[in-house]
Amino acid sequence: MEEQNVQLEQTLGNIQKLVDNVETVIRGKRMQIQYVLTALLAKGHILMEDNPGTGKTVMAKTLAKSIAGVQGGEASFKRIQFTPDLLPMDLIGSHIFDDVKKEFVFKKGPLFCNLLLADEINRASPKVQSALLECMAEHQITMGETTYPLEKLFFTIATQNPVEMEGTYPLPAAQLDRFFIKIYFGYVDEATELNIYKDYLGIQNNLDNIKQVLSMKEILFLQEQTEKVFIHEEIITGVRNIVRDTRKHPDIVLGASTRSGITFLKCLKAFALVNGRTFVTEDDLNQLTGPVLDHRLIFRNKEAKQKALATILTKELDRLSRLKITTNANTYNQSPI
Amino acid sequence: MKIGRVHSWKKVLAQLILLVAPTVLFFFYLLWDLNHFYTILENGWVMQGCYFMAGIVITTVFYAWRFRFITTLALLLLFYYGIYKYVAGLSIGEFDAFYLSVQFIVFIFLFSLGWLAGFGFSRSKYFTVFWSVLLLVIQIIVVSKTTDVKVNVLISAFAPVLAYAFYIIYTAELIRNMNEEETRFSWFIIKRITGFLLVILVMFLVIFNIFKNDFKAIEKEWGNAQANYDKGDGKSENMNQKDKDGGMGNKDQTKLSGNLSKDKQLVFVAKLDNYFDDGKTPNPLYFTSCYYTKFDTLTQTFERDSLMPYNDLFEPDPSRIPLYFTKWDSTVIKNTFATKNRKVVTADIYKVALSASRYIAPSTAFFCQPMSVPKEYKEQYKSTYRAKMWVSELNSAYFIYNPAGNKMLEQFQDVRFAKLREVKKITGPDKKFMDYYTYMPRNDDYKKITQLAKQVTANTNTPVDKMIAIRDYFLSKDEFKQPLFKYSDNPGIPGMPSANKLCYFLFENKKGYCAYYAGATLFMLRSLGIPSRVAAGYLTVDRSSKNPGWYWFYANQAHAWVQVYFQGYGWIDFDTTVPDMNTHQASQPDGTPPTNMPQTYLVADGEVLELDTLKKQIKMTVEKLLYHDKDYVTTKAKEMTIDVSMATITADTGAVKLSSIKKGNHITAVSYAEVLKNILADKKDSLASIINKLPVPVPIDELKVMSKEELKKLKKKNKELPTEPIDWIRVGWILLLIITALVILLFLSPWLIWQYYNTKAKQMNNAKAYNSYRAALYYLNQMGYPRDGKGPQEYAYEIDLKFTSVSNPVRVSNPDRGNGTNLHLISFSSFSNLYQKTKYGSIPLTEAEQKMVNEFYKPFIKQVKSKTKFKTRISKFLNIYNTIHYFTQPKINN
Repeated sequence: MEEQNVQLEQTLGNIQKLVDNVETVIRGKRMQIQYVLTALLAKGHILMEDNPGTGKTVMAKTLAKSIAGVQGGEASFKRIQFTPDLLPMDLIGSHIFDDVKKEFVFKKGPLFCNLLLADEINRASPKVQSALLECMAEHQITMGETTYPLEKLFFTIATQNPVEMEGTYPLPAAQLDRFFIKIYFGYVDEATELNIYKDYLGIQNNLDNIKQVLSMKEILFLQEQTEKVFIHEEIITGVRNIVRDTRKHPDIVLGASTRSGITFLKCLKAFALVNGRTFVTEDDLNQLTGPVLDHRLIFRNKEAKQKALATILTKELDRLSRLKITTNANTYNQSPI
Repeated sequence: MKIGRVHSWKKVLAQLILLVAPTVLFFFYLLWDLNHFYTILENGWVMQGCYFMAGIVITTVFYAWRFRFITTLALLLLFYYGIYKYVAGLSIGEFDAFYLSVQFIVFIFLFSLGWLAGFGFSRSKYFTVFWSVLLLVIQIIVVSKTTDVKVNVLISAFAPVLAYAFYIIYTAELIRNMNEEETRFSWFIIKRITGFLLVILVMFLVIFNIFKNDFKAIEKEWGNAQANYDKGDGKSENMNQKDKDGGMGNKDQTKLSGNLSKDKQLVFVAKLDNYFDDGKTPNPLYFTSCYYTKFDTLTQTFERDSLMPYNDLFEPDPSRIPLYFTKWDSTVIKNTFATKNRKVVTADIYKVALSASRYIAPSTAFFCQPMSVPKEYKEQYKSTYRAKMWVSELNSAYFIYNPAGNKMLEQFQDVRFAKLREVKKITGPDKKFMDYYTYMPRNDDYKKITQLAKQVTANTNTPVDKMIAIRDYFLSKDEFKQPLFKYSDNPGIPGMPSANKLCYFLFENKKGYCAYYAGATLFMLRSLGIPSRVAAGYLTVDRSSKNPGWYWFYANQAHAWVQVYFQGYGWIDFDTTVPDMNTHQASQPDGTPPTNMPQTYLVADGEVLELDTLKKQIKMTVEKLLYHDKDYVTTKAKEMTIDVSMATITADTGAVKLSSIKKGNHITAVSYAEVLKNILADKKDSLASIINKLPVPVPIDELKVMSKEELKKLKKKNKELPTEPIDWIRVGWILLLIITALVILLFLSPWLIWQYYNTKAKQMNNAKAYNSYRAALYYLNQMGYPRDGKGPQEYAYEIDLKFTSVSNPVRVSNPDRGNGTNLHLISFSSFSNLYQKTKYGSIPLTEAEQKMVNEFYKPFIKQVKSKTKFKTRISKFLNIYNTIHYFTQPKINN
C-alpha cells in the first residue's frame, strides 16, 4: 500500500511534468492538455473541435510523442487523415493473399496501435466513422469470423472541423456519445499569440525534441489508480442532479443519459488525478460539466446551447457550496466504481 | 371553423377567482357608495353590480378564445340596439319610457364597463394600471362632491381603492407571467397570493395593534355615521328616538325629510322656577337636549359634533348618579362666556317616557341631582332629577308665540331687545369660535340663501334686529294676505331627490317643520356672520294657569330652534318656526303635579353585604353618605344595617321585590325617618362616626338598586368615554418612526448577517474551514465579488488577483518569524483548495495545512479591508441587493 502511494505520488508528479512538456509546444492551452489526459486516464477518447489552424493536430502529435517517445518506443502512435473517400478497410486492415503460405493473411490497419490521431474525423463518410467508433467502444475488431482485440492501451484523439464547414459529415449524437470529452480549442490570448509568433521556429524544434515523460506502464498504472480516486457522496449526488436537470430543462431537447452520468464520474476521477489530487472537488465538477456533457445534449437553439448547461451547473455549484461537510469520509481505497 | 384558445382553462379559472371576483366585489362596494351620491342610480346597487358582474364574467370566459375585439364589440352594439328597440316597443306612457331608458342606459354602461374590464384582464398587459387609475379618478370625483372633507371620509374613499389597485396589479402580473404548463400551477398561485395576503395582513395587524385606540375612536365615529344611512331608509323622520332601555329622547341628528311623524305620548313633566320680574308670571324656557352644530350637506342632516369649540353641553346620566348625590360641571358655565344678566334657575324633571339615562334641561345646565319620586306618584313617574341652569334673564320661550295683548310680555320683549341691541357686533371669544359657528358650505345653493338673508335684513343694523327681521320674514304675508310660510309636518320633497331641501323650503315650497325653519334661520344668520347653532329639545308651552311653573311635555313637542351668541349675554334661544295650529289646539290634559318631596335626612350609597328577607334587614357597606345635606365620602367602607320593612324598592326599570336584591348589588338607601331629625352631625364627624351615632337598624324609606350588569356597563362606558379625538399628527410621527426604524434595520441587515458569520468564523471548532469560507464568501459577496456560477478555484484565483497581490505570494505561516501578532497572509486559493480537501477529500489535513486553515481568516479579511476604501465598504454594505443575491438560490427554468 505504502509502496503504491509513493508510486502514485511520483506518477502524479510526472503528469504535471507531462503537462508542462506539452505546453512548451502548445502554449496557453493548459486546460485542453488536462482534458486530453483526463480522457486518457478515464480509458476514454477525446474529440477536439475547432477551426483549422488552432493547433489541434500539433497538440495530438506532441502528446503522442511525449507518451510514446520520439522513436516510437514502447507505445505505438498512428495518424489517419480522414477524407471522404476513405474506406473502413483503410482503418481496420484487410486480408491479403500470402504467396508463401498460400492463404489470406490479416494485415492489420492503423487502428492496431496505442495512440491514434483521427484527424478531421467528420470529413470521412459515415460508414468509416461508424467503423472507427465501433472499435473505440468495443476495443476489438471483428473481421469475417475472427475477432482481433485492440491494444490494451488504446486512446483516440479525434479532431473535427466545425459542423458548418463544407464537405463534412456531422457525427450523430449516438456516436458523439463514444467520446468521453469534447473540447473546443479556441484561439490563444493576445500575449501568448505574440509569443508564438516571436518564437515560431522554436515551436517546431520543441516538437521534434519532445521527450517521453510517461511510460506506457505508468499510464496503465494511472488508469488503474483512477478507479480508486475518492469521490464524495455529495459530488455523486451533484452529478445525478446535473444529469437529471438536463432532462428537465426546457431548452434542452435531449438530456443526458445514465451512461453519460457514469462517464462523467469516470472523467471526474481522472481529472482529479490529472490535477494531482486523490479526491474529486467542486472544481472538477465545474470544469468538466461542459466538456463531458455538452456534446451529448441537443439544445433547442444556439442561444440555449450557451446558457442552459451553465445555469444547471450554477445551480448545482450553489447547492454544493452551501453544504456543510466537516467529517472526512472513508479512505479512498474503499470507494466504489 | 375552429377557434384557438388564448388561455387554458386553468388560467381562465385563475383569472375568474383571483381577478374577476375581487373586482366584482369591489364594484359592488363602489356602486353601493355611488348610490348615496347619485339619484339616477335609484339605490339599485345590487342589480347594477349584477350587470357589471355579468359583463366581466362573460367576457373573461369569452376572450379566452381567439376572438377579435372590434368585431365582437360590433356584435354587442347590435345586441344593445336590438334590446333597445324591443324595450321601446314595450313601454307605454312617457314616464315609463323615460324610466326604462334611464335604467337601460345604466345597464348598458355597466355591462359595457364589465365587458371592457373582462377583455382587459384577459388580453391587455397594461389594463390593470389604467383600470386602477380610472377607479381612483372615480373616487376623487366622488370625494370632491363631499363638502366637508375629513380624514375618515378620505380613508373610507381611498383605502379600498388603493388596496384593490395594489392587489389587482400584482395579481394580474402574476397570472400573466404564469407558465401554464407547469404541473403545480395552482400551488404556485396559491403560494404567491397567500404570501401577498399574509404580508398585507401582517401589515394591517401591526398597524391596527399600534393604533388600536385610535381605530376604536374611528369605529365609533363611523358607527354613528352608519346610523345615518340606516335611519334614512325610512323616508319619514322622527325627532325622538327610542333609547335602548325603552325610553325616548332626542336624536343625535335630525334629517330634513319629507314628513315628520309625531305622536302624543307624554314624555316628561317639569317644574321650572323661572319667573318674570314680577315674580308671579312664569317665564317658560325651551328644554335643551343637545346642540346640532354641524350640517351634513350630503344627507341634509343636522348632527352633533363632539368637537365643537367651548363645549357648553352638560350631559350627565342621571340613572348613574346615586340618589340625591349631585354631579355638576362648572366648565360649561365658563364656556358660555356669559357674564351679563345671568342667574341660576332650578328645574325638577319628572320622567314619564323619557329615557332614564337622558338629561334634559334649559340651557345652560350644569347641575344634576337624581331624586326619588314621592310614593303616591311612583306609578306615574319613573324617576326624577333636579337640574340647575345658568340662565340668561333675557331668555324666554316667547319670541314667536307672543300672546298678543299681554303687556307684561310685550314690555319684556322690548326690554330684552333693547339690551341685545347694545351688541352691535359679535366677535365671539376667539376666531376659532367664530369660524366654527359661522361656517357655511360653499355652494351655489347657499349663495342663494345668503342673498335672501341680505335682502330680508337690509334695513337693520344690529344682530338682534336681523334676527327679528328673519322672524318677521317667516311670519310675513304674501300679496293675497295669506301667510308666506306655513307649518307642515309633511312638506314633501323636491322633484330631484338630491336637490337642496333648504332651498326648496325657502324658495319654492315654503312649508316645513321646525328643522326646516331652524336650518334656514341658521344659515341665514351664519351668512350674515352671526354665530348661531341649532338646539334640539322640547318646546315649552305654558298651558296651565292652575300650576304656574309646571309644564307638560308631549312627544310632539320635540323641537329644534336656533340659538344665537351675543357678546356678553351668551347663547340666547330664538324660535322662528311659524305656529302650527295643531300643537296649540292639542287638548292634552295636564295632570296634577307631584307634591313637594319629604325632607331627606340620610342617603347612603354602597354594596349589599347580607340580605335577611325574613327580618327585612340588609347589611351594607357605605362608601358615600349624605347626612342632613352634607356629603361624606370614605375610602374605607363602613358597615351599616338598615331596616327596609317600610321601604319602597326600585330599580331603573321600576319597583322591584326585596328578594330580587342580590349580594354585591349596588344600592342607594334613603331615609326620611323622623328619628334622624334630631341626631345631628358635628363638624368633626366622619362617615364612620355618623354611622355609629345612628340607631341600628337604620329605618329606610327608599331603596334604589343598580344591578351588576348595569354597573359593568357603566364601567365599560367610563373606559370608552375618554377616547380622545385622533391626533393625526402623532399618528403620522409614529408611522414615520416605525418606517424609519424598519428602513434602518433593513440597511443594517447586511452588517448584522456579517456579524453573525464573522463570529462563527472566529470560533475554533471542527467546522472552522467551513465557517471561515462562508464568512469570507459573504464578505466578498458584499464587497461586490459574488461567486455566482464560478468554481471555487476559479473564484479564488480572481479574488487573489484582486486582493492578495502578486508581490505577496502564498506563504505558509512561519512560526519562527512572528509571535502571534504578525500573521502571514495566506492566499485565498490555497485556503480554498484546503477547504475543498476537508470537504470532499478522504485524507485528513496535515498539521501544517490545518494551521493554514486556522490562520487564514483574520488576516485575509484585514487584507480585503485594507484594499478597499472605507467609503466603498460602507456603501457596499448598505447595498441590500448584494445580501439578497447571496441568499438567492439560482434556478434553472427561465
